[in-house]
Amino acid sequence: MKELSVAEFGRRLAHLLVSLFILLCVTFVIGRVLPTDPVGAIVGELADPAAYAAMRARLGLDLPIYQQFFLYLNGLAHGDFGTAVLTGNPVSSDLAQAFPATFELATLAVIISTFVGVPLGLVAALFRDSFIDKTARVVALVGHSIPVFWFGIVGLVIFYAGLNWVGGPGRIDVFYEGLVTPRTGLLLVDSLLQGETEIFWNALGHIILPAVILAYAAMAYITRMTRSFTLEQLSQDYVIAARAKGVSPLGTIWHHVLPNIAVQLITILAISYGGLLEGAVVTEIVFSWPGIGQYMTNALMIGDMNAIVAGTIIVGFIFMLLNFLADVAYAVFDPRMREAAR
Amino acid sequence: MKHFSKGLFVGAVIGALTIAAPLSQAATPQDQLVVGTSLAQVLSLDPQQATEGKAVEIMSNLYDRLVASTADGKILPQLAESWKVDDKGITFTLRKANFASGNPVTSKDVVYSLARLLKMDQAAAANLKRVGYDKDNVEKLVKAVDDQTVRIDLSDQVTAELLLYRLTTTTTSVVDSVEVESHAVDNDYGNAWMRTHSAGSGPFTLNRWSPNELVILDANKDYMAGAPKMRRVIVRHVPESQVERLMLERGDIDIASALTASDLATFQSKKGFAIQRIPTGGFYVLSMNAGNKYLANPKVREAIAYGIDYKGIEKTIMGPYGRARNVPVPENFEYAIPNPDWHLDVEKSKQLLSEAGFKDGFSLSLKTIAQTPRIDLATAIQASLAQVGIKIDIQQGNGSEIIAAHRARDFDLLIPQTSAYMPNVLGSMEQFSSNPDNSKEANNAGNFVWRSAWDIPELTALTAKASMEPDAKKRGELYVQMQKMFVEQKPAVLPLFERFEPIVLSSKVEGYVGHPSQLTRLENVTKVETQ
Repeated sequence: MKELSVAEFGRRLAHLLVSLFILLCVTFVIGRVLPTDPVGAIVGELADPAAYAAMRARLGLDLPIYQQFFLYLNGLAHGDFGTAVLTGNPVSSDLAQAFPATFELATLAVIISTFVGVPLGLVAALFRDSFIDKTARVVALVGHSIPVFWFGIVGLVIFYAGLNWVGGPGRIDVFYEGLVTPRTGLLLVDSLLQGETEIFWNALGHIILPAVILAYAAMAYITRMTRSFTLEQLSQDYVIAARAKGVSPLGTIWHHVLPNIAVQLITILAISYGGLLEGAVVTEIVFSWPGIGQYMTNALMIGDMNAIVAGTIIVGFIFMLLNFLADVAYAVFDPRMREAAR
Repeated sequence: MKHFSKGLFVGAVIGALTIAAPLSQAATPQDQLVVGTSLAQVLSLDPQQATEGKAVEIMSNLYDRLVASTADGKILPQLAESWKVDDKGITFTLRKANFASGNPVTSKDVVYSLARLLKMDQAAAANLKRVGYDKDNVEKLVKAVDDQTVRIDLSDQVTAELLLYRLTTTTTSVVDSVEVESHAVDNDYGNAWMRTHSAGSGPFTLNRWSPNELVILDANKDYMAGAPKMRRVIVRHVPESQVERLMLERGDIDIASALTASDLATFQSKKGFAIQRIPTGGFYVLSMNAGNKYLANPKVREAIAYGIDYKGIEKTIMGPYGRARNVPVPENFEYAIPNPDWHLDVEKSKQLLSEAGFKDGFSLSLKTIAQTPRIDLATAIQASLAQVGIKIDIQQGNGSEIIAAHRARDFDLLIPQTSAYMPNVLGSMEQFSSNPDNSKEANNAGNFVWRSAWDIPELTALTAKASMEPDAKKRGELYVQMQKMFVEQKPAVLPLFERFEPIVLSSKVEGYVGHPSQLTRLENVTKVETQ
């Protein structure tokens, strides 16, 4: 696969970069034409025009839009996303702080949804139209159609306020605040690294409900897709041959079907993961989760363009990167692609 | 396939861990106060910069001012032990106190802080600029006589009493000049550092501010009046009202502000909780653009005043948030006049419209922030005015959009809210009755009346006269005249409801007295054991 694959790799990488640039342009333009007023947000409603104008100039908003764009690009080229109005910090350091919270949540969610969704889809396909298949379909339908917001509130009412099984909103109970030094930014990892098992359990109690709720929505999709991939394979001749040879149903799935659907599954999982990383906005607000989603929402509210553009680029980049990786995985795992490459 | 079996194993382990996870602890620690609120608008904790309500509430606990005001408007000493008023100004004697850094509080710090406010010249500076202090005259008017004595001369636009009120706000907080200057970069008066740190002598110090997550205040053990009862105050960002309600019920927070009306209602008679309705001295207002051809006509404005069902809206929507009132002075303030006879009267309203020549009605847009209770208020006004033939098109937006439209006079109707900057007639009313130059070129976007293009030279002059009247009794008479004139002119900035900020407290919390200007101090708050 060597030669062709390098060219292919390059082509896809170029795609990625061009898409990213278009995304950047669009976000920037939308941001500047939106009727929001970051200056007003900073100087306050009662500021006099002189103070207002001074702040406007300080933010560079008095320049023509194309100049603002070039200044911005120039900053980006030097790794500078600009300063966030909300925090006064460089946007990059804000994002570095908010991203781990989202990453931790989305990763846990994708793990849960994979390990529940894939087996459920396999079983549903195997016992097509049985009770278990119908149940799986209903579960998937519910997960797909009921908004995460509703699940979040109901989940909190039942498991937090009612049963007291999980921690409330936020990443950790207040009296543990600041006891763990952030290294990776992932509380579960940091607390274990520093031997703070009590904090680990507390953080796990806080993350589990939002993670499960996010996972449920993603799981619905994963289950449905796994089921339909598997059904497609089950009707293939090789499956009939394997069954005729005397391989058990489970053995057929394990040794023959799974390897065949693995490539498609990877794509689905990558898309779900991307969706979780960018789509956790509502969950983050319901659970007061200090991640990217919440950061961006607040930035939007006050028209903090540096934060919005940088956040959009990061999220877009992750999404594209995951797609790109899925594509590469396709090429690596699919025997036909390997053959073609030779 | 080995990967899958390994994966299954990991999954099973995670599942098992989840089930075995210990119950999370309920209830906040006895020596910590946890407040749930929305921190979305907190952009800075530099007292000479920030003016947003939540930021003010936090800063008023980090810093002391020369003087403070009580919830009912009395002036109390804070860093100033005493003061003497004469014709030309006020002489303050400072008490012995230290900043949290250990540096002593001296008159030099007071002068530095006021100069810093005016030289940084941000929105916060408006407090003193409005009465004639600016970056050029501050050093002439504010002087350190000796280490413990500060002299502030009156500008020609303020009386001593009103100046004292202005000195109670967080914008005049006394900051540690040595500490602040050590963090100054590029002549920024340490602003970049001060946004996220504290350098005050108040009962608490800022331990950490994570935007949109939390603010942690630690007790200042060396506070001049003794260490606060709470070791720590944590203000948590909880943007969702329903979630905040659950946290309060579960005991994970002690005080909840920013609850929606329906969530608030669930605590109405619930055991273990108390609702505190904090007056703001401000109003929910219907701003009408007098530059609009219909709204320029006082008869149309009066027709609108008669076209709104205040009592009905108060009952169904405002509840704990507001009380019907059409004069921009809360009824319990000294010299407040009784409400005019504006109430829903469809016939009268229609008659006024036809007198104005608009018998068949017309259409207007109404802009509002998509926020409780204003969004519901907009819908109610729409329904109410439909009866008299005025068709309303509601346009919602976020805060910065709506404020920008307001400042640019780009609206027909708009629902802003106000607060009183001091607890007296002038503090609540001045913003409704002063518009020195209504011309578009004046671009006086910081002025509430200018934004409505409502030209009121007489009322402006009267307001200026009242604010310069040193005699209390004569000033009171002027206050009454101002309010009467305001009503007579059929205001384009029509107060609808006096504004309250309802909060819910766990009954464990004692000693929390909400301050109308959000200067609520927490040093005497305690928590008691409940059964």
